[in-house]
Parts: sequence; structure tokens; C-alpha cells
Amino acid sequence: MPDSAPSLFQVFIRGSLEAVWHEITRQDQPIPAFFNSQLHAGKLAPGSRIAMRTPDGNYTGVVGEILEIIPLKRFSHTFRFTNLEDPPCKVIYDLEQAEGGVKFTLTIVDLPVGTKTAKQMVQGGKMIVSTLRSVIETGKPSFGTRMLFVLFKLMQPFSPKACRSENWPIDEA
Amino acid sequence: MESQELDHLFSALAHPARRRMLDLVLEAPAISVKALASHFEMSRIAVMKHIKVLEECGLMLSRKEGRTRHLFFNPVPIQLVYDRWTTQYSAFWSERLADLKTRVETRAESEGNKSA
Repeated sequence: MPDSAPSLFQVFIRGSLEAVWHEITRQDQPIPAFFNSQLHAGKLAPGSRIAMRTPDGNYTGVVGEILEIIPLKRFSHTFRFTNLEDPPCKVIYDLEQAEGGVKFTLTIVDLPVGTKTAKQMVQGGKMIVSTLRSVIETGKPSFGTRMLFVLFKLMQPFSPKACRSENWPIDEA
Repeated sequence: MESQELDHLFSALAHPARRRMLDLVLEAPAISVKALASHFEMSRIAVMKHIKVLEECGLMLSRKEGRTRHLFFNPVPIQLVYDRWTTQYSAFWSERLADLKTRVETRAESEGNKSA
């Protein structure tokens, strides 16, 4: 095992592989599990650049490049916060059919040790998977998470200029 | 969270050795089963049994690499417990506050009407 061990987050979701896959790859509306940001990508294929933008498109919180796409099974991409200078890490979403639902695992690898990115990813990982479960099973995120999205919206005007989307162009599909 | 999931989770946590195991795995992610067992006086078989209980409730995950099994702490079940109760209590308090607001405002209105 490398020095910085991967971080794992796993949840069982009562839903179909198709529903879970759709929820983490959709580009038609913000994804609650991804802190209510909207996925923008070129083609969903290895090598495509992606950006996670605010619902109005004005700010970009995360950028990356798709590493692997195996429909209904695995989605993996590099991950970099636009407001930090830290090197990128990798996120891997694995879906596995289980009795009565889907076993969903988020693995974060190559986290730069001791950085803000590492801290935020470890905090964020459990929210990503628990929100995904809530959205698939109940149709919406938990009350606390919905309150957080309201807060994000209020805070948006205070985002650093570096996060403005014009600084992070991608080839849209 | 379903009742059965909660039962598994809380009974897994209701043992000091298992809580200690979670602490150790959290401190040293990807620790091997052997390294984890070295912290305990009990037999390897007993350690394995505890690991199995922790895996069944989702608090511990393992990944095999060659012949070694590496262990990881999964914080998600605890997050789900948090979500479950904060949601209910938040809803409780927001309802109470909404009631209070309605009562205070209705009273202010009727008093305003009287003085007018």
C-alpha cells in the first residue's frame, strides 16, 4: 500500500444500478450528492475534461479529467478544487449489484497528505454517499443537507475570483 | 435508516474491543488484520469475529491485496444516524418556531386592530 492510504466510503442503496448511475453522471441538473453542483463534461469518455459548476454556471468548484467510464459499474476522474493550489487526487465511484439494491463505494486515492484538499475530501466523502442514498431512496437530500445548499447559495457571491467559470473552460458536449 | 440496520450498528458499537478496533483502523487506514490483531490479547480467531461484526454493519471495509487483507474505517453508517436524528429534530424545532411565529404575529395583529 502507498504511504497515503486511500479513503473509502461505502453505502447500501435501495435502488437500481441504472438510477444510481444516472444520478452521478447526469448533466441536465445539479447533483445533490455533489454538493448541488452541476456536472459539465465533454463526452463522458476517458480523457474528457469535467467541471463541477454552481447551478447558475457562474462558479466552478472542482475540475478534473475522466479516467474511466464503465457504465453501471465505475466512474473515475481526477479531482482538483479550483480555489486551492493542491495537486489533484483521484475519485473512483464503484457500483455493485447487491441483494435488494446497490453497494456504492467512493474511493479517494492520491490525497496530498496534510493539505486542505485532504481535509475537505475526507469530510465530503461521507456526505456524497449518504446524500446519494437519500436522493435515490427518498427523492431528496436530508433536511440538514438541504439547509447547507441554501447556505451555499447565500455564500456564492463571496467565492474567490479564481473560481469564476470563465477561468475553467471545457469543451461542452 | 431501517430498524434492522440501526440494531446491527448499535450492537456492533456496544463492545469496547470493537470500538478500539475502529479507533486503530481510523488512526492507521489500510492496517492489516495481523497488525490490528497484535494490539489485542485475544486470539486471532476472536479478532476475526469482531471484524466480521464490524464489516456486517458497514463500519469496517476490507480490501485484499495479494494475501494481505487491509482494513478501512467507513464513517457513512454514523453519518446516516446523524442525518436521521438531526432531520427529525430539526423538523420538530422548525415546526415549533413556525407555531410561535404564527401565534405572536396573530396576537400582534389583533392588538393592532384594537388600538386602531
